[in-house]
Amino acid sequence: MFRAELRKILPYRTVWIILLLFVVLLALFVSAGGSVTLNGQQVGATLYTFPGLWQKLTYVASYFNLLLGILLIILITDEFQFRTFRQQIIDGSSVAELLQNKLLVSVALMVFGMLTVLGLGFYFGLTRAAETANKAAEGITGIALYGVQVLGLLSMAALVAVLVRRSGPGILLFLLYAWVAEPLLRFSLPDSLDRFLPAKVFNSLTPLPGQEMLDTVTGPSSALLPTEALPLALVYTALFWGLSYLVLRNRDL
Amino acid sequence: MPILELDNVSKSYGSTTALKGLTLSVEPGSVYGLLGPNGSGKTTTLGIALGVLRASGGSVRWFGQAPSSDNRRRVGALLETPNFFPYLSARQNLLLAADVKRADPRTVDQALDLTGLGTRQHDKFRGFSLGMKQRLALASTLLGNPEVLVLDEPTNGLDPQGIAEVRDLVTRLAADGKTIIIASHLLDEVEKVCTHVAVLQRGDLRAAGPVHSILATADRVILRPAPDTSIVTLQQALAALPWVSDLKPETAGIYSAVLAAGHGPADLNRALFEQGIALAGLEVRHRSLEAQFLELTR
Repeated sequence: MFRAELRKILPYRTVWIILLLFVVLLALFVSAGGSVTLNGQQVGATLYTFPGLWQKLTYVASYFNLLLGILLIILITDEFQFRTFRQQIIDGSSVAELLQNKLLVSVALMVFGMLTVLGLGFYFGLTRAAETANKAAEGITGIALYGVQVLGLLSMAALVAVLVRRSGPGILLFLLYAWVAEPLLRFSLPDSLDRFLPAKVFNSLTPLPGQEMLDTVTGPSSALLPTEALPLALVYTALFWGLSYLVLRNRDL
Repeated sequence: MPILELDNVSKSYGSTTALKGLTLSVEPGSVYGLLGPNGSGKTTTLGIALGVLRASGGSVRWFGQAPSSDNRRRVGALLETPNFFPYLSARQNLLLAADVKRADPRTVDQALDLTGLGTRQHDKFRGFSLGMKQRLALASTLLGNPEVLVLDEPTNGLDPQGIAEVRDLVTRLAADGKTIIIASHLLDEVEKVCTHVAVLQRGDLRAAGPVHSILATADRVILRPAPDTSIVTLQQALAALPWVSDLKPETAGIYSAVLAAGHGPADLNRALFEQGIALAGLEVRHRSLEAQFLELTR
Protein backbone atom coordinates (compact mmCIF):
# COMPACT_ATOMS: atom_id res chain seq x y z
CA MET A 1 0.00 0.00 0.00
CA PHE A 2 2.99 2.29 0.48
CA ARG A 3 3.34 2.41 -3.30
CA ALA A 4 0.13 4.46 -3.42
CA GLU A 5 1.67 6.91 -0.92
CA LEU A 6 4.77 7.21 -3.08
CA ARG A 7 2.57 7.93 -6.09
CA LYS A 8 1.16 10.90 -4.17
CA ILE A 9 4.42 12.18 -2.72
CA LEU A 10 7.09 11.79 -5.39
CA PRO A 11 5.51 14.13 -7.99
CA TYR A 12 4.52 16.70 -5.32
CA ARG A 13 6.78 19.74 -5.57
CA THR A 14 5.83 21.07 -2.12
CA VAL A 15 7.34 17.94 -0.54
CA TRP A 16 10.69 18.43 -2.25
CA ILE A 17 10.79 22.15 -1.45
CA ILE A 18 10.23 21.55 2.28
CA LEU A 19 12.74 18.68 2.44
CA LEU A 20 15.32 20.80 0.60
CA LEU A 21 14.61 23.69 2.95
CA PHE A 22 15.16 21.37 5.93
CA VAL A 23 18.59 20.26 4.63
CA VAL A 24 19.74 23.69 3.43
CA LEU A 25 18.64 25.62 6.52
CA LEU A 26 20.16 23.06 8.87
CA ALA A 27 23.41 22.99 6.87
CA LEU A 28 23.59 26.81 6.79
CA PHE A 29 22.89 27.02 10.49
CA VAL A 30 25.54 24.43 11.35
CA SER A 31 27.99 26.02 8.95
CA ALA A 32 27.46 29.45 10.47
CA GLY A 33 27.49 27.93 13.96
CA GLY A 34 31.25 28.24 14.26
CA SER A 35 30.87 31.88 15.19
CA VAL A 36 27.95 31.33 17.58
CA THR A 37 28.32 31.88 21.30
CA LEU A 38 26.99 28.96 23.26
CA ASN A 39 26.92 28.94 27.04
CA GLY A 40 29.05 32.05 27.07
CA GLN A 41 31.82 30.57 24.95
CA GLN A 42 32.79 31.29 21.36
CA VAL A 43 32.21 27.90 19.81
CA GLY A 44 34.59 28.08 16.88
CA ALA A 45 36.12 24.89 15.63
CA THR A 46 35.26 23.00 18.83
CA LEU A 47 31.69 22.88 17.55
CA TYR A 48 32.63 20.32 14.93
CA THR A 49 34.75 18.00 17.00
CA PHE A 50 33.60 14.42 17.48
CA PRO A 51 32.02 13.04 19.59
CA GLY A 52 30.39 16.21 20.99
CA LEU A 53 29.22 17.13 17.49
CA TRP A 54 26.37 14.60 17.51
CA GLN A 55 24.70 16.04 20.58
CA LYS A 56 25.06 19.61 19.31
CA LEU A 57 23.79 18.65 15.89
CA THR A 58 20.73 16.76 17.12
CA TYR A 59 19.94 19.63 19.50
CA VAL A 60 20.07 22.14 16.64
CA ALA A 61 18.19 19.84 14.27
CA SER A 62 15.33 19.54 16.77
CA TYR A 63 14.43 23.15 15.98
CA PHE A 64 14.01 22.28 12.31
CA ASN A 65 11.70 19.33 13.01
CA LEU A 66 8.80 21.72 12.84
CA LEU A 67 9.36 21.86 9.06
CA LEU A 68 8.83 18.10 8.87
CA GLY A 69 5.72 18.49 11.04
CA ILE A 70 4.37 21.16 8.71
CA LEU A 71 5.02 18.86 5.75
CA LEU A 72 3.06 16.01 7.34
CA ILE A 73 0.21 18.38 8.20
CA ILE A 74 0.08 19.48 4.56
CA LEU A 75 0.09 15.87 3.32
CA ILE A 76 -2.77 14.88 5.65
CA THR A 77 -4.93 17.99 5.30
CA ASP A 78 -4.57 17.74 1.50
CA GLU A 79 -6.39 14.42 1.71
CA PHE A 80 -9.32 16.11 3.43
CA GLN A 81 -9.28 19.10 1.11
CA PHE A 82 -9.11 17.00 -2.08
CA ARG A 83 -11.58 14.54 -0.50
CA THR A 84 -9.18 11.77 -1.38
CA PHE A 85 -9.42 10.13 2.07
CA ARG A 86 -13.11 9.79 1.28
CA GLN A 87 -12.39 8.37 -2.17
CA GLN A 88 -9.85 5.88 -0.85
CA ILE A 89 -12.40 4.55 1.64
CA ILE A 90 -14.89 4.23 -1.22
CA ASP A 91 -12.22 2.45 -3.28
CA GLY A 92 -11.65 -0.13 -0.56
CA SER A 93 -9.21 1.28 2.01
CA SER A 94 -10.00 1.14 5.70
CA VAL A 95 -9.53 4.02 8.12
CA ALA A 96 -6.73 2.02 9.76
CA GLU A 97 -4.98 1.64 6.40
CA LEU A 98 -5.23 5.36 5.68
CA LEU A 99 -3.47 6.12 8.95
CA GLN A 100 -0.97 3.29 8.63
CA ASN A 101 0.11 4.84 5.35
CA LYS A 102 0.60 8.22 6.99
CA LEU A 103 2.51 6.53 9.81
CA LEU A 104 4.79 5.01 7.17
CA VAL A 105 5.23 8.47 5.65
CA SER A 106 6.23 9.78 9.07
CA VAL A 107 8.72 6.92 9.45
CA ALA A 108 10.15 7.87 6.05
CA LEU A 109 10.45 11.50 7.23
CA MET A 110 12.14 10.27 10.40
CA VAL A 111 14.68 8.31 8.34
CA PHE A 112 15.19 11.36 6.14
CA GLY A 113 15.84 13.54 9.21
CA MET A 114 18.26 11.01 10.70
CA LEU A 115 20.16 10.59 7.43
CA THR A 116 20.37 14.36 7.03
CA VAL A 117 21.85 14.78 10.52
CA LEU A 118 24.17 11.84 9.93
CA GLY A 119 25.31 13.21 6.56
CA LEU A 120 25.83 16.76 7.83
CA GLY A 121 27.61 15.43 10.92
CA PHE A 122 30.11 13.46 8.91
CA TYR A 123 30.55 16.27 6.39
CA PHE A 124 31.24 19.02 8.91
CA GLY A 125 33.09 16.77 11.34
CA LEU A 126 35.44 15.31 8.75
CA THR A 127 36.08 18.59 6.93
CA ARG A 128 36.44 20.92 9.92
CA ALA A 129 37.68 18.67 12.70
CA ALA A 130 39.28 15.78 10.85
CA GLU A 131 41.70 15.17 13.71
CA THR A 132 38.84 13.84 15.88
CA ALA A 133 37.55 11.41 13.21
CA ASN A 134 38.61 8.42 15.31
CA LYS A 135 35.89 9.39 17.83
CA ALA A 136 33.17 9.75 15.19
CA ALA A 137 31.32 6.63 16.31
CA GLU A 138 31.02 7.78 19.92
CA GLY A 139 27.68 9.28 20.81
CA ILE A 140 26.28 8.51 17.37
CA THR A 141 23.37 6.69 19.06
CA GLY A 142 22.05 10.16 19.88
CA ILE A 143 20.76 10.15 16.32
CA ALA A 144 18.42 7.29 17.19
CA LEU A 145 16.96 9.40 20.02
CA TYR A 146 16.64 12.26 17.57
CA GLY A 147 14.72 9.88 15.26
CA VAL A 148 12.28 9.07 18.07
CA GLN A 149 11.87 12.80 18.64
CA VAL A 150 10.96 13.35 14.97
CA LEU A 151 8.51 10.46 15.07
CA GLY A 152 6.89 11.84 18.23
CA LEU A 153 6.55 15.34 16.90
CA LEU A 154 5.08 13.96 13.66
CA SER A 155 2.49 11.96 15.60
CA MET A 156 1.44 15.24 17.22
CA ALA A 157 1.30 16.91 13.79
CA ALA A 158 -0.84 14.06 12.46
CA LEU A 159 -3.33 14.38 15.31
CA VAL A 160 -3.60 18.14 14.76
CA ALA A 161 -4.12 17.59 11.01
CA VAL A 162 -6.84 14.98 11.56
CA LEU A 163 -8.60 17.22 14.09
CA VAL A 164 -8.43 20.48 12.12
CA ARG A 165 -8.53 19.09 8.54
CA ARG A 166 -7.34 22.36 6.98
CA SER A 167 -3.69 23.12 6.35
CA GLY A 168 -3.53 26.80 7.42
CA PRO A 169 -5.26 26.44 10.79
CA GLY A 170 -3.54 23.06 11.30
CA ILE A 171 -0.03 24.48 10.88
CA LEU A 172 -0.93 27.46 13.06
CA LEU A 173 -2.29 25.26 15.84
CA PHE A 174 0.74 22.97 15.66
CA LEU A 175 3.20 25.87 15.96
CA LEU A 176 1.12 27.60 18.62
CA TYR A 177 1.04 24.45 20.72
CA ALA A 178 4.74 23.70 20.40
CA TRP A 179 5.94 27.29 20.85
CA VAL A 180 3.29 29.07 22.91
CA ALA A 181 0.61 26.93 24.52
CA GLU A 182 2.78 24.24 26.08
CA PRO A 183 5.49 26.67 27.33
CA LEU A 184 2.71 28.76 28.94
CA LEU A 185 1.20 25.62 30.43
CA ARG A 186 4.60 24.73 31.86
CA PHE A 187 4.71 28.03 33.73
CA SER A 188 1.48 27.25 35.54
CA LEU A 189 2.37 23.64 36.34
CA PRO A 190 4.81 22.51 39.01
CA ASP A 191 8.19 21.33 37.66
CA SER A 192 7.46 17.77 38.68
CA LEU A 193 4.55 17.68 36.24
CA ASP A 194 5.54 19.91 33.35
CA ARG A 195 8.40 17.68 32.32
CA PHE A 196 5.84 15.08 31.32
CA LEU A 197 4.10 17.30 28.76
CA PRO A 198 4.54 15.88 25.24
CA ALA A 199 6.59 18.62 23.54
CA LYS A 200 8.83 18.81 26.61
CA VAL A 201 9.30 15.02 26.60
CA PHE A 202 10.19 15.05 22.90
CA ASN A 203 12.65 17.92 23.47
CA SER A 204 14.26 16.06 26.35
CA LEU A 205 15.46 13.44 23.86
CA THR A 206 18.00 15.90 22.42
CA PRO A 207 19.14 17.94 25.44
CA LEU A 208 21.00 21.22 25.25
CA PRO A 209 24.73 20.44 24.95
CA GLY A 210 26.52 21.17 28.21
CA GLN A 211 23.31 20.80 30.19
CA GLU A 212 25.09 18.50 32.64
CA MET A 213 27.62 21.23 33.30
CA LEU A 214 24.90 23.83 33.79
CA ASP A 215 23.14 21.51 36.20
CA THR A 216 26.14 21.52 38.51
CA VAL A 217 25.84 25.32 38.71
CA THR A 218 22.08 25.88 38.79
CA GLY A 219 20.95 22.60 40.31
CA PRO A 220 19.33 19.74 38.40
CA SER A 221 17.08 20.92 35.58
CA SER A 222 13.48 19.85 35.57
CA ALA A 223 13.84 18.05 32.24
CA LEU A 224 13.92 14.29 32.00
CA LEU A 225 17.12 12.56 30.94
CA PRO A 226 16.97 11.26 27.34
CA THR A 227 16.83 7.69 28.58
CA GLU A 228 13.92 8.56 30.89
CA ALA A 229 12.13 10.44 28.12
CA LEU A 230 12.46 7.63 25.57
CA PRO A 231 9.68 5.28 26.82
CA LEU A 232 7.38 8.23 27.48
CA ALA A 233 7.98 9.61 23.98
CA LEU A 234 7.07 6.25 22.49
CA VAL A 235 3.91 6.11 24.61
CA TYR A 236 2.90 9.60 23.45
CA THR A 237 3.57 8.63 19.83
CA ALA A 238 1.34 5.57 20.09
CA LEU A 239 -1.30 7.58 21.96
CA PHE A 240 -1.44 10.34 19.31
CA TRP A 241 -1.76 7.89 16.43
CA GLY A 242 -4.43 6.00 18.38
CA LEU A 243 -6.38 9.20 18.98
CA SER A 244 -6.10 10.13 15.29
CA TYR A 245 -7.55 6.74 14.43
CA LEU A 246 -10.49 7.17 16.81
CA VAL A 247 -11.25 10.66 15.49
CA LEU A 248 -11.12 9.55 11.86
CA ARG A 249 -13.14 6.40 12.46
CA ASN A 250 -15.99 8.17 14.22
CA ARG A 251 -16.40 11.11 11.89
CA ASP A 252 -18.06 11.46 8.51
CA LEU A 253 -15.52 11.78 5.73
CA MET B 1 -29.02 -12.74 -2.71
CA PRO B 2 -29.37 -8.98 -3.05
CA ILE B 3 -26.27 -6.96 -3.99
CA LEU B 4 -27.09 -4.18 -1.54
CA GLU B 5 -29.57 -4.12 1.31
CA LEU B 6 -30.37 -1.11 3.45
CA ASP B 7 -32.38 -1.87 6.55
CA ASN B 8 -34.06 0.98 8.37
CA VAL B 9 -31.10 3.31 7.76
CA SER B 10 -31.36 6.79 9.23
CA LYS B 11 -29.03 9.74 9.39
CA SER B 12 -29.23 13.01 11.30
CA TYR B 13 -27.01 16.05 11.01
CA GLY B 14 -27.62 17.85 14.29
CA SER B 15 -31.34 18.55 14.37
CA THR B 16 -31.79 17.88 10.65
CA THR B 17 -32.91 14.40 9.67
CA ALA B 18 -31.49 13.53 6.27
CA LEU B 19 -32.76 9.95 6.12
CA LYS B 20 -35.73 8.46 7.95
CA GLY B 21 -35.51 4.70 8.27
CA LEU B 22 -34.77 3.85 4.65
CA THR B 23 -35.18 0.21 3.65
CA LEU B 24 -34.41 -0.97 0.16
CA SER B 25 -32.77 -3.81 -1.67
CA VAL B 26 -30.90 -3.91 -4.99
CA GLU B 27 -31.01 -7.18 -6.88
CA PRO B 28 -28.13 -8.47 -9.02
CA GLY B 29 -28.18 -7.34 -12.63
CA SER B 30 -30.54 -4.46 -12.07
CA VAL B 31 -29.98 -0.84 -13.00
CA TYR B 32 -31.32 0.82 -9.91
CA GLY B 33 -32.25 4.49 -10.08
CA LEU B 34 -32.32 6.53 -6.91
CA LEU B 35 -34.53 9.51 -7.65
CA GLY B 36 -35.31 12.57 -5.67
CA PRO B 37 -35.11 16.33 -5.68
CA ASN B 38 -32.03 18.12 -4.34
CA GLY B 39 -31.62 17.42 -0.64
CA SER B 40 -33.82 14.34 -0.66
CA GLY B 41 -31.09 12.08 0.78
CA LYS B 42 -29.72 10.35 -2.32
CA THR B 43 -26.06 11.16 -1.67
CA THR B 44 -26.47 10.53 2.06
CA THR B 45 -27.87 7.08 1.26
CA LEU B 46 -24.95 6.24 -1.02
CA GLY B 47 -22.41 7.78 1.38
CA ILE B 48 -23.64 5.48 4.16
CA ALA B 49 -23.68 2.48 1.82
CA LEU B 50 -20.09 3.25 0.76
CA GLY B 51 -18.78 3.66 4.30
CA VAL B 52 -17.88 7.36 4.29
CA LEU B 53 -20.86 8.57 6.34
CA ARG B 54 -21.78 7.07 9.69
CA ALA B 55 -25.45 6.08 9.88
CA SER B 56 -27.36 7.21 12.97
CA GLY B 57 -29.25 3.93 12.88
CA GLY B 58 -30.00 0.85 10.80
CA SER B 59 -27.71 -1.48 8.90
CA VAL B 60 -26.11 -1.95 5.48
CA ARG B 61 -25.22 -5.24 3.84
CA TRP B 62 -23.20 -5.70 0.65
CA PHE B 63 -23.36 -9.11 -1.07
CA GLY B 64 -25.15 -10.42 2.03
CA GLN B 65 -22.28 -9.41 4.34
CA ALA B 66 -21.47 -6.57 6.70
CA PRO B 67 -19.63 -3.70 4.91
CA SER B 68 -15.86 -4.22 4.67
CA SER B 69 -12.87 -3.07 2.66
CA ASP B 70 -13.02 -6.32 0.72
CA ASN B 71 -16.58 -5.92 -0.44
CA ARG B 72 -16.03 -2.22 -1.22
CA ARG B 73 -13.30 -3.30 -3.65
CA ARG B 74 -15.99 -5.16 -5.62
CA VAL B 75 -17.78 -1.86 -6.18
CA GLY B 76 -16.71 1.04 -8.40
CA ALA B 77 -18.17 4.25 -7.09
CA LEU B 78 -18.42 7.91 -7.92
CA LEU B 79 -19.87 9.86 -5.01
CA GLU B 80 -20.90 13.50 -5.38
CA THR B 81 -17.71 15.00 -6.81
CA PRO B 82 -14.65 13.71 -8.69
CA ASN B 83 -12.01 13.38 -5.96
CA PHE B 84 -8.44 13.45 -7.23
CA PHE B 85 -5.03 14.97 -6.51
CA PRO B 86 -4.93 18.21 -8.54
CA TYR B 87 -1.16 18.15 -9.05
CA LEU B 88 -1.20 14.63 -10.54
CA SER B 89 -2.05 13.80 -14.14
CA ALA B 90 -5.18 11.86 -15.07
CA ARG B 91 -3.04 8.75 -15.56
CA GLN B 92 -1.14 9.15 -12.27
CA ASN B 93 -4.45 9.57 -10.44
CA LEU B 94 -5.85 6.39 -11.99
CA LEU B 95 -2.69 4.39 -11.23
CA LEU B 96 -3.01 5.54 -7.63
CA ALA B 97 -6.69 4.54 -7.52
CA ALA B 98 -5.81 1.16 -9.05
CA ASP B 99 -3.30 0.59 -6.24
CA VAL B 100 -5.92 1.38 -3.61
CA LYS B 101 -8.44 -0.92 -5.30
CA ARG B 102 -5.74 -3.56 -5.82
CA ALA B 103 -6.81 -3.56 -9.45
CA ASP B 104 -4.63 -4.58 -12.37
CA PRO B 105 -2.80 -1.40 -13.52
CA ARG B 106 -3.46 -2.48 -17.11
CA THR B 107 -7.14 -1.65 -16.64
CA VAL B 108 -6.07 2.02 -16.44
CA ASP B 109 -5.61 2.16 -20.22
CA GLN B 110 -8.96 0.50 -20.86
CA ALA B 111 -10.69 2.94 -18.52
CA LEU B 112 -9.01 5.94 -20.18
CA ASP B 113 -10.08 4.71 -23.62
CA LEU B 114 -13.65 3.92 -22.58
CA THR B 115 -14.12 7.45 -21.25
CA GLY B 116 -12.36 9.18 -24.12
CA LEU B 117 -9.52 10.57 -22.00
CA GLY B 118 -6.69 8.77 -23.77
CA THR B 119 -5.31 11.88 -25.42
CA ARG B 120 -5.43 13.97 -22.23
CA GLN B 121 -4.09 11.34 -19.83
CA HIS B 122 -0.82 13.17 -19.14
CA ASP B 123 -2.51 16.51 -18.35
CA LYS B 124 -2.84 17.54 -14.74
CA PHE B 125 -6.26 17.04 -13.11
CA ARG B 126 -6.10 20.68 -11.99
CA GLY B 127 -6.48 21.89 -15.60
CA PHE B 128 -9.48 19.72 -16.44
CA SER B 129 -12.95 21.09 -17.19
CA LEU B 130 -15.84 19.89 -15.03
CA GLY B 131 -16.90 17.48 -17.77
CA MET B 132 -13.42 15.96 -18.04
CA LYS B 133 -13.14 15.63 -14.27
CA GLN B 134 -16.43 13.75 -14.34
CA ARG B 135 -15.14 11.50 -17.13
CA LEU B 136 -12.03 10.75 -15.07
CA ALA B 137 -14.20 9.88 -12.07
CA LEU B 138 -16.19 7.50 -14.31
CA ALA B 139 -12.94 6.01 -15.60
CA SER B 140 -11.86 5.41 -12.00
CA THR B 141 -15.07 3.51 -11.21
CA LEU B 142 -14.26 1.09 -14.06
CA LEU B 143 -10.79 0.14 -12.75
CA GLY B 144 -10.47 -3.54 -11.96
CA ASN B 145 -13.73 -4.30 -13.76
CA PRO B 146 -15.98 -4.26 -10.63
CA GLU B 147 -19.24 -6.22 -10.39
CA VAL B 148 -21.19 -3.23 -9.15
CA LEU B 149 -21.12 0.44 -10.10
CA VAL B 150 -22.47 3.22 -7.92
CA LEU B 151 -22.85 6.46 -9.84
CA ASP B 152 -24.01 9.59 -8.07
CA GLU B 153 -25.18 12.14 -10.66
CA PRO B 154 -22.86 10.67 -13.32
CA THR B 155 -23.80 13.16 -16.02
CA ASN B 156 -23.10 16.25 -13.91
CA GLY B 157 -21.20 18.81 -15.95
CA LEU B 158 -21.27 16.78 -19.14
CA ASP B 159 -22.36 18.21 -22.51
CA PRO B 160 -25.27 16.55 -24.38
CA GLN B 161 -22.86 14.29 -26.23
CA GLY B 162 -21.20 13.29 -22.97
CA ILE B 163 -24.59 12.55 -21.40
CA ALA B 164 -25.50 10.30 -24.32
CA GLU B 165 -22.10 8.56 -24.02
CA VAL B 166 -22.61 7.90 -20.30
CA ARG B 167 -26.06 6.51 -21.05
CA ASP B 168 -24.59 4.19 -23.68
CA LEU B 169 -21.84 3.17 -21.31
CA VAL B 170 -24.34 2.35 -18.55
CA THR B 171 -26.49 0.37 -20.99
CA ARG B 172 -23.44 -1.56 -22.24
CA LEU B 173 -22.20 -2.29 -18.71
CA ALA B 174 -25.67 -3.42 -17.66
CA ALA B 175 -25.78 -5.72 -20.70
CA ASP B 176 -22.51 -7.24 -19.42
CA GLY B 177 -24.43 -8.25 -16.29
CA LYS B 178 -23.16 -5.55 -13.95
CA THR B 179 -25.40 -4.17 -11.26
CA ILE B 180 -25.60 -0.39 -11.48
CA ILE B 181 -26.95 2.02 -8.89
CA ILE B 182 -27.55 5.55 -10.21
CA ALA B 183 -28.62 8.53 -8.18
CA SER B 184 -29.99 11.34 -10.24
CA HIS B 185 -32.47 14.13 -10.38
CA LEU B 186 -32.53 13.89 -14.16
CA LEU B 187 -35.61 11.76 -14.74
CA ASP B 188 -35.13 11.35 -18.41
CA GLU B 189 -31.76 9.76 -17.72
CA VAL B 190 -33.21 7.31 -15.22
CA GLU B 191 -36.22 6.42 -17.36
CA LYS B 192 -33.99 5.57 -20.31
CA VAL B 193 -31.58 3.26 -18.50
CA CYS B 194 -33.07 1.98 -15.23
CA THR B 195 -34.88 -1.27 -14.55
CA HIS B 196 -35.74 -0.35 -10.95
CA VAL B 197 -36.30 2.91 -9.20
CA ALA B 198 -36.69 4.26 -5.68
CA VAL B 199 -38.09 7.74 -5.14
CA LEU B 200 -36.86 9.68 -2.14
CA GLN B 201 -38.19 12.89 -0.74
CA ARG B 202 -36.83 14.69 2.31
CA GLY B 203 -35.31 11.45 3.55
CA ASP B 204 -38.50 9.42 3.08
CA LEU B 205 -38.94 6.57 0.63
CA ARG B 206 -42.00 7.44 -1.47
CA ALA B 207 -41.99 4.46 -3.82
CA ALA B 208 -39.69 1.64 -4.89
CA GLY B 209 -39.86 -1.16 -7.43
CA PRO B 210 -39.44 -2.02 -11.10
CA VAL B 211 -39.72 1.04 -13.33
CA HIS B 212 -42.68 -0.41 -15.28
CA SER B 213 -44.68 -1.05 -12.10
CA ILE B 214 -44.01 2.42 -10.75
CA LEU B 215 -45.05 3.86 -14.08
CA ALA B 216 -47.92 1.43 -14.72
CA THR B 217 -49.84 2.70 -11.73
CA ALA B 218 -49.98 6.00 -13.53
CA ASP B 219 -51.11 4.70 -16.93
CA ARG B 220 -54.56 5.76 -18.11
CA VAL B 221 -56.67 4.24 -20.87
CA ILE B 222 -58.16 6.65 -23.36
CA LEU B 223 -61.64 5.66 -24.67
CA ARG B 224 -63.29 7.15 -27.68
CA PRO B 225 -66.89 5.82 -27.88
CA ALA B 226 -68.55 5.26 -31.28
CA PRO B 227 -70.70 8.27 -32.30
CA ASP B 228 -73.98 6.38 -31.69
CA THR B 229 -73.14 5.44 -28.09
CA SER B 230 -74.84 7.49 -25.44
CA ILE B 231 -72.54 8.89 -22.76
CA VAL B 232 -74.88 7.75 -19.99
CA THR B 233 -74.79 4.14 -21.21
CA LEU B 234 -70.99 4.24 -21.32
CA GLN B 235 -70.77 5.67 -17.82
CA GLN B 236 -73.15 3.04 -16.44
CA ALA B 237 -71.29 0.21 -18.16
CA LEU B 238 -67.95 1.42 -16.81
CA ALA B 239 -69.36 1.94 -13.32
CA ALA B 240 -70.40 -1.74 -13.33
CA LEU B 241 -66.78 -2.83 -13.85
CA PRO B 242 -65.05 -2.96 -10.43
CA TRP B 243 -61.57 -2.77 -11.95
CA VAL B 244 -62.19 0.57 -13.68
CA SER B 245 -61.78 3.75 -11.69
CA ASP B 246 -61.32 7.48 -11.95
CA LEU B 247 -63.36 8.05 -15.12
CA LYS B 248 -62.72 11.53 -16.44
CA PRO B 249 -63.96 13.33 -19.50
CA GLU B 250 -61.16 14.60 -21.69
CA THR B 251 -61.60 16.83 -24.74
CA ALA B 252 -64.09 16.24 -27.58
CA GLY B 253 -66.12 13.29 -26.25
CA ILE B 254 -63.06 11.31 -25.19
CA TYR B 255 -62.87 9.71 -21.73
CA SER B 256 -59.98 8.42 -19.70
CA ALA B 257 -59.90 5.94 -16.83
CA VAL B 258 -57.47 3.92 -14.71
CA LEU B 259 -57.47 0.12 -14.84
CA ALA B 260 -56.60 -1.97 -11.81
CA ALA B 261 -53.47 -4.12 -11.94
CA GLY B 262 -53.95 -7.30 -13.95
CA HIS B 263 -56.41 -5.71 -16.35
CA GLY B 264 -55.50 -4.43 -19.78
CA PRO B 265 -57.20 -2.52 -22.58
CA ALA B 266 -58.26 -5.81 -24.23
CA ASP B 267 -60.29 -6.73 -21.10
CA LEU B 268 -61.98 -3.38 -21.21
CA ASN B 269 -62.79 -3.68 -24.91
CA ARG B 270 -64.28 -7.16 -24.42
CA ALA B 271 -66.37 -6.15 -21.40
CA LEU B 272 -67.82 -3.10 -23.13
CA PHE B 273 -68.55 -4.99 -26.35
CA GLU B 274 -70.46 -7.64 -24.36
CA GLN B 275 -72.72 -4.85 -23.17
CA GLY B 276 -73.29 -3.68 -26.70
CA ILE B 277 -70.95 -0.73 -26.57
CA ALA B 278 -68.50 -0.31 -29.45
CA LEU B 279 -65.47 1.88 -29.15
CA ALA B 280 -64.10 3.93 -32.01
CA GLY B 281 -60.73 4.16 -30.28
CA LEU B 282 -58.91 2.70 -27.30
CA GLU B 283 -55.31 3.32 -26.26
CA VAL B 284 -53.05 3.34 -23.23
CA ARG B 285 -51.42 6.63 -22.40
CA HIS B 286 -48.09 6.03 -20.66
CA ARG B 287 -47.33 8.64 -18.18
CA SER B 288 -43.79 9.92 -18.19
CA LEU B 289 -41.60 9.21 -15.21
CA GLU B 290 -41.47 12.92 -14.72
CA ALA B 291 -45.24 13.21 -14.29
CA GLN B 292 -45.23 10.24 -11.94
CA PHE B 293 -42.29 11.64 -10.00
CA LEU B 294 -43.99 14.99 -9.56
CA GLU B 295 -47.09 13.16 -8.37
CA LEU B 296 -45.12 11.09 -5.85
CA THR B 297 -43.16 13.99 -4.45
CA ARG B 298 -46.04 16.45 -4.36
